[in-house]
Amino acid sequence: MKIKVERSGGFAGIPICNEIDAKDLPSGLARTAKKIMEDKSVPSLSIKSSPRGAADHYTYKILIQDGRSQRVIECNQYNIENDLKSLVNYIERNSKRRMN
Amino acid sequence: MDFKSGFDVINREGQFVNHGNPICLIIPEYMNKKIIEKGSKKQKEQAWKNLILTEQLRGRRLVTGLMSSMFSVSNKLDRTIFDAKNAENLPGTLIRHEGEKPKGGKTVSEAYDYSGSTYNFYKDIFERNSIDTRGMKLDSTVHYGLDYNNAFWNGTQMVYGDGDGEIFQRFTKSIDVIGHELTHGVTQYEAALEYEGQAGALNESFSDVFGSLVKQYALKQRADKADWLIGAGLFTNKIKGVALRSMKEPGSAYNDPTIGKDPQPGHMRNYVNTSSDNGGVHINSGIPNRAFYLTAIELGGYAWQKAGKIWYIALTERLRESSNFQKAANITYEVAGTIYGKSSHEQNAVKKAWDQVGIKIKAMK
Repeated sequence: MKIKVERSGGFAGIPICNEIDAKDLPSGLARTAKKIMEDKSVPSLSIKSSPRGAADHYTYKILIQDGRSQRVIECNQYNIENDLKSLVNYIERNSKRRMN
Repeated sequence: MDFKSGFDVINREGQFVNHGNPICLIIPEYMNKKIIEKGSKKQKEQAWKNLILTEQLRGRRLVTGLMSSMFSVSNKLDRTIFDAKNAENLPGTLIRHEGEKPKGGKTVSEAYDYSGSTYNFYKDIFERNSIDTRGMKLDSTVHYGLDYNNAFWNGTQMVYGDGDGEIFQRFTKSIDVIGHELTHGVTQYEAALEYEGQAGALNESFSDVFGSLVKQYALKQRADKADWLIGAGLFTNKIKGVALRSMKEPGSAYNDPTIGKDPQPGHMRNYVNTSSDNGGVHINSGIPNRAFYLTAIELGGYAWQKAGKIWYIALTERLRESSNFQKAANITYEVAGTIYGKSSHEQNAVKKAWDQVGIKIKAMK
């Protein structure tokens, strides 16, 4: 299973993409990734929801691929689920970064 | 238009309408509010009528709500700086309040001083009373997150990261960044431009425009002497770039193996269609940014005096949530004509500037 995090927005507006293989995740976060992949209660698209007037926040597109199955979640820094935020933070700090 | 009789006025749809009110809608909202605060009884009554009429036309908020808020106006600069201590909880620990001596280090001082510079710019040039015209407190949080490469406006306050030391330095370093973030607040209380697509790119552009003007005003720079850069000095010396954006030459601010090349277009032919970044709000803002720069250069002198005034009136009086580039072009052109006269040098400068970025002014219906 692979997880890709595309982050865009922010004051700088410089997009960043990070990717990691689930086997390189700590066991707790690997379980989180698997759970998100299977748990449809995590909304797939909540990118437009942000506080009134807010600007320069980060937006995320998270792709989780397991064989032929794929889950795509789009959200922003205000509505990202806590578990997903932990996963994203780890991936952004511990995987190879590339700019889009 | 006859300013004295006030019979011909311009409404928010850009139409000239006949109206008997001697002061009428040509008086900007901020001026009416100023008259309510400080004018004579008769002037106050007239200003109230104007304001109520404006509010009714906008359909923006109930007059009763406005009236109650008008009685809680503060006319004093009121800054508070908090420290998030590298966590992501807002607002964090209170470090410095208005009037207190410098403490908390360089980052706190920059957030305090530059938010004051921005407040004074809006007050001195446009007689604007803080972000919301009612003396809103200016709250800032510094040291947000760990190695956090961003600054943002969350709808109620400004937030600044320290940068990771690899790509970015602290985000309080540039005065125009703080002017940019505070202007998002101004936009929120005025045109309330949606943060998506062209309206979002306009939202970003107005923040760059007034962020740059805050810097130029602080430096007392004329348009031809300004650098027209946004975020100059934010990059570390490991990055090949002078700033995050160039209003003068969008797309030229950086070109680096780590972060890539500045993607901003300066002309509609290079408009970027994308779903990321809320539809490219930080990318396509290069187009209206350049239109402002070209207007300011054509008009010469201090950019806040004419070009800035035109853009400010457009933002506060005429643009709406879903306005696009074409609407912004048409409206700035009309505002220039209203202030400086039809076919004036100023109005022609606005037309020429938008034309140079690929947008032809269209007559409003």
